[in-house]
Amino acid sequence: MAAGSRPHDPLDAFIAAAPLFQRIGMRALIALSRRRTGAALIARVPAAAQLAQVIEGLGRYDDPELARSLGWDADAVVARGRALRRAERRP
Amino acid sequence: MSAHDARMTAEVCVIGAGAGGAVAAAELAEGGMSVTLLEEGHWHDPDSFTARPPQMLAKLYRDASQTVTLGNPPILLPLGRGLGGTTLVNSGTCFRTPPYVLERWQREFGLEVSEESLRPCFERVEEALSVSEVTPELAGANAGVARRGAERLGWSHGYLRRNAKGCVGSGVCAFGCPTSAKQHTGITYIPRARAAGARIVTGAQVERVLVEPSRTGGRSSQRAVGVTARMAGGARVQVSAPIVIVAAGTIHTPLLLARSGLGRASGQLGRNLSLHPATAAFARMEEIVDMAKGVPQSFYVDEFAGDGIIFEGVAGPPSYAAMSLPLTGERHARAMADYRHLAQFGLMVSDSSRGSVRSVAGKALIHYELSNDDLQRFRTGLARMRELFEAAGAREVYLPLPAGVDPVRARRSDLKLMAFHPLGTARADARASEGVLDGDLKVHGAQGVYVADGSAVPSSLGVNPQMTIMALATRLAFSLLGQDFDLDNDGPGKSDGARKSVAAPA
Repeated sequence: MAAGSRPHDPLDAFIAAAPLFQRIGMRALIALSRRRTGAALIARVPAAAQLAQVIEGLGRYDDPELARSLGWDADAVVARGRALRRAERRP
Repeated sequence: MSAHDARMTAEVCVIGAGAGGAVAAAELAEGGMSVTLLEEGHWHDPDSFTARPPQMLAKLYRDASQTVTLGNPPILLPLGRGLGGTTLVNSGTCFRTPPYVLERWQREFGLEVSEESLRPCFERVEEALSVSEVTPELAGANAGVARRGAERLGWSHGYLRRNAKGCVGSGVCAFGCPTSAKQHTGITYIPRARAAGARIVTGAQVERVLVEPSRTGGRSSQRAVGVTARMAGGARVQVSAPIVIVAAGTIHTPLLLARSGLGRASGQLGRNLSLHPATAAFARMEEIVDMAKGVPQSFYVDEFAGDGIIFEGVAGPPSYAAMSLPLTGERHARAMADYRHLAQFGLMVSDSSRGSVRSVAGKALIHYELSNDDLQRFRTGLARMRELFEAAGAREVYLPLPAGVDPVRARRSDLKLMAFHPLGTARADARASEGVLDGDLKVHGAQGVYVADGSAVPSSLGVNPQMTIMALATRLAFSLLGQDFDLDNDGPGKSDGARKSVAAPA
């Protein structure tokens, strides 16, 4: 799992803001999943596999390029929102 | 207090700027009372919203949305934090309290609430929040899938009413509305409160409600004298006020009352927690759905509402879908490659299970076990959800269950649940022996201390609770202003501006 290892990873803030127990759990899962034996171990525990999938999915599919290839452009959504708020003097 | 600490004085101190606190603060300030509102979170500038879930979960939610209950199964319970509270991050769905729920409150809890008596409160809130029904065009293709299924099955359904104005279907209600279309309390009631002279203090973590001994009708009691709070930088704030309205939310209000030595006589404080546990299923459709284009929660199916099961739309960007898609490994990757064809819908249960919340080392410990009845509701609901998607023409349905588990045989531990509507932990009951609050939402045995959030709601509602909380807060404000609510009166700030009396404590 590459999530959690890239500079300025979008998951960094997410994990840092989590409660202690979840923070430790998520970091342990990320570390484990980088090793072949760890990944195999995670795959044998459904709850761990599911949580790993949550972390992986949240990080991987937040990538703007990948998201755009799936029809979602966060930057465009934000730009439209800003333009609307300015034009209509919304809060 | 040190030289860096601050003292303030107000007629009313409101704790929390969510659905209940913001409404109460604005109505009271407009009614002429001096109000100080303390909020633990901060104002979130819409310019800082990125429409990217990982960043927004960390920014807009308490504990990055990872509050979780202990029990079988554990349930994720996301809570918003900031001016607006959870209204900042909810889907904006607006239901009035169902009449049968109000009848139950009268019958079981002795509360004098009826559809008729609350109607003007609902109308006032709905006007303030621009509540209207979502149009089919704005609802998007994800809602269209559910509508097609419901129509083919002949199931009752409809478009939801929401507090939104000028919505363009950005698809990220839960991650900060980039157009400020969602009329959360941070951009509606809070500016009104401020304009009417209320002092709004953010970054203030309230430590306790201050009380002193009192005698009422010959009986010893307590009365409010103020609130102490600690600011993010460590300084203390003390607000002297004879009226305190606690609106810190269903999880934190009971903890604050307990810390303050309030509301414990009945033994009900922190108990009776209902959650509306929920889950969601996906389906792969023939057509392009682009689930995040449109209003994520715009459509409902209430065919089974009588059984405590309601379906409501949910949707989001790819990263949101990826974390909630109930698949792993290669199957997950294949389904995500087909994201544009994925539809999603949610299932919410009006629960009979009850949980509790207590403080352990200063943190909220939430315990909740799913009852047999609610487990059965999920089994039935998931089977019905599959029917709905299949009737809509799904090529494949992904239920939130382990591979090979049939919904009717699902165990508690098979379920992947979330919950968004915690209620009941300081429930109102006219009898002091059975509830924390009386019918006026005043803490039993304490003068001048009131509660205006979901914790006051004495039973599961079966529908999204923000309107109920706001209507009750409106009613409380008018009661404190000494004004009866009638349809000919536009409210305290818009009529003659003079309050008749203030129900100040003895």
